[in-house]
Amino acid sequence: MFLLPILLAFRSAEADAALVVRLQRREPQALAELYDRYGRVAYSLILRVVRDAGIAEDLVQETFLRVWNRVQGFDAQKGAVGPWLLAVARNRAIDYVRSAGGRDRNTVEFEETGHPALYTDMESGILASDKARVVKAAMEKLLPHQRQVIELAYFEGLSQTEMAARMGQPLGTVKTWVRAALKTLRDELGAQAVSA
Amino acid sequence: MNHTELQDHYELYALGLAEEPERDEIRAHLDRGCEVCMAEMRRARELVTLLGGSAVPAAPSPKLRRRILASVGVEHRGFGWTPLFAGASALLLGAALYFGGREADFAREVERLTAQSRSQIIELTRLNEAFALMNGADTTVTSFGEKKPVPKGKLFYSPSKGALLIASNLPPAPAGKAYELWLVPKAKGASPIRDGMFQSESDGTVMRLIPGPIDANATAAIAVTLEVAAGVDSPTLPILIVAPLAPALQ
Repeated sequence: MFLLPILLAFRSAEADAALVVRLQRREPQALAELYDRYGRVAYSLILRVVRDAGIAEDLVQETFLRVWNRVQGFDAQKGAVGPWLLAVARNRAIDYVRSAGGRDRNTVEFEETGHPALYTDMESGILASDKARVVKAAMEKLLPHQRQVIELAYFEGLSQTEMAARMGQPLGTVKTWVRAALKTLRDELGAQAVSA
Repeated sequence: MNHTELQDHYELYALGLAEEPERDEIRAHLDRGCEVCMAEMRRARELVTLLGGSAVPAAPSPKLRRRILASVGVEHRGFGWTPLFAGASALLLGAALYFGGREADFAREVERLTAQSRSQIIELTRLNEAFALMNGADTTVTSFGEKKPVPKGKLFYSPSKGALLIASNLPPAPAGKAYELWLVPKAKGASPIRDGMFQSESDGTVMRLIPGPIDANATAAIAVTLEVAAGVDSPTLPILIVAPLAPALQ
């Protein structure tokens, strides 16, 4: 269900490259088009993290302005703007909940623009498979505690130590759950889509 | 550290869970353009991005697009001081770009001020939208909760602009909970319609704008309930706020 807009958004990857060039030329209309393609996806993701519609809208605005301000450093030939924007959105949202919760910023935050080539192959991977059903099935294959640690990491940006404290479990147990969950996801998703 | 040893750490890195020394090792490999690590990280990134698929689809208000464009200097709609702040923001951005390479400290300060300016624009735009609704020619106002200790406030309703809910004595929601807004239909037996989640301020106040036309012939009231943070499809009792759209229309 939520994957549908993601699929539609990523489908326009070729047009995205041209869009990045226009953003780099500082064409405001290009920002409008970028928002029309990814605004809803970014909002849904951020809302899931912060759980407040007003704050989510502020963070969506911050996300698009960040992309607008940093797009000069983004190589359209190596990276895809959509996945990059969603990475920025997730990082903004997690930064917000961490700071609101009195926690430090995540020290292992992924560098949003450091390696644009890391976003290159996402479109083909996503479009090559019927991902909506595959992802849903993969998540359902996780045990409840495995799904919980993945969600705590992805949507709340918790470290494994923080998860252990939150869940009242030994750190080693949490690490085992995380690895097992990732292995399941890798097996279910990786084999069918990533290598497609 | 070789790639076999790093094999299980790429997804952890992409999720933000990698620990030392693997984290620094992967970062170093990426920084020197290691093709194996780049390929592994692309795979890991795709996997992690797909996890967003478990989020519930949601739509932002139509005004968000205008706010974003206004903040980079397009589609001004005459919101009082907003253009001034936008201009100031643009000047600061220009200054940041000009001094970027040579005056790093100064640029960082400009960036901070720019972010501050943007926040002011966001807040000012929100307030202007609220004031525009409150002062609208077709706006009516109703009170709710006056005879009860909590919560109470006013609802400003404009058929053309939407509604503005201002309430107090709405304590911050417990952990894992949030307040959910509902449009209560007039039709008998019709289910309330979800209209978003929110949190009250630490002092128990809340100001929520519900933008866009609301048909008073179809909608009786705005309601608020306390729900799980992800929201629910049907309201859970008790209903904390029931604010009629307008007394004359009830």
